[in-house]
Amino acid sequence: MPDDIRTLLALALVFAPLSLLSIGGGAALLTEIEHQSVGVHAWTTQREFADLFAISRAAPGPGTMLSTLIGWKVAGLTGALTATVALYLPSSLLVFGTARLWRRWRGSVWHSAVERGLAPIAAGLILAGGIAVMRVSPGGPAVWAAAIASTALILRWPSLHPLALFAASGALFGVAAGLAG
Amino acid sequence: MIQPTIDNSCSNRIGLPALFVAFFRLGVMSFGGGTAGWLYREIVERRRWIDDMQFLSGAALGRLMPGSGGVNLTVQVGQLLRGSSGAMAAALGLLSGPLAIVLALAVSYTQISHNVTVHAILDGVAAAAIGLTFATGLKLVRFRRAGAGPLAVTVATVLSVGVLRWPMIPVVLCLAPISIGLALLDRRGRNA
Repeated sequence: MPDDIRTLLALALVFAPLSLLSIGGGAALLTEIEHQSVGVHAWTTQREFADLFAISRAAPGPGTMLSTLIGWKVAGLTGALTATVALYLPSSLLVFGTARLWRRWRGSVWHSAVERGLAPIAAGLILAGGIAVMRVSPGGPAVWAAAIASTALILRWPSLHPLALFAASGALFGVAAGLAG
Repeated sequence: MIQPTIDNSCSNRIGLPALFVAFFRLGVMSFGGGTAGWLYREIVERRRWIDDMQFLSGAALGRLMPGSGGVNLTVQVGQLLRGSSGAMAAALGLLSGPLAIVLALAVSYTQISHNVTVHAILDGVAAAAIGLTFATGLKLVRFRRAGAGPLAVTVATVLSVGVLRWPMIPVVLCLAPISIGLALLDRRGRNA
């Protein structure tokens, strides 16, 4: 087997299982990706991993684009695509199948009760997700204060575009760091 | 339900390109995570392709299943609107922009991990993104004009998972039967 195919296969074999193990996403996934790419496979050094993590934070997108970057570092564009597909396809297929099965029961009393029962839990999980991100943020109390202020601004002025708020908040933190440094 | 129900069978009119473009837009805007907040704003509030209950139902399943909650929610919305090709169009739309951007960043900046200002700016953006997530959660609670029961369930979820950091799955397994029971009782009460 040629080496490049072997590398792509190794990427897929690392990220595809993580796809199905990453319930709740976030910190646990990050630790495992670090362990695999720095420790087990030596795809990146610790320093390179920190750089890739910083870059993945700067980009938009759901969850982690870190796997994409590790794939890119190891095997260029095909590596990036392989790692991305491996991380997102298995979990997507699983949720697709489950949702389809679930919709078959639409119209029954139970289906509607379960959906209405899960709704307040879902709203709670969205809020809890925000708290979890806030807790792991390296910025500390300043981030908490800015998060709460942003919440109030968005609720008070619905026409305010969130991107404008993102830019303002980023600029504020950048200037504050400049002054402090 | 308070909101007029949206008939998704009519939404076959939403073309696959439109679906792709809508999710591409929200994908490239979702800095600092918080895809659910952007999805709510773009797909529920602005385009009205799905209603609050469909969003919440997708968000619940998306978080309880493995994988990224944002991608899982996207797959379900795409599926709801246009079946399997819709799910694919939505997921590809969501991921292709961030993929291109993250690679462009990686090519241009190989070493940003020690730049203090860059980190501070990212912290600021992340803080505003958390604000969008909170605002979305609060809007959903407020919108439902929930009775005391559902409100208590939401508060219990936030306290146990968010504040006390209890594991999500067992918490949901405990709260779901109570909340579903309340929904059944509520329905019977209304029918009586």
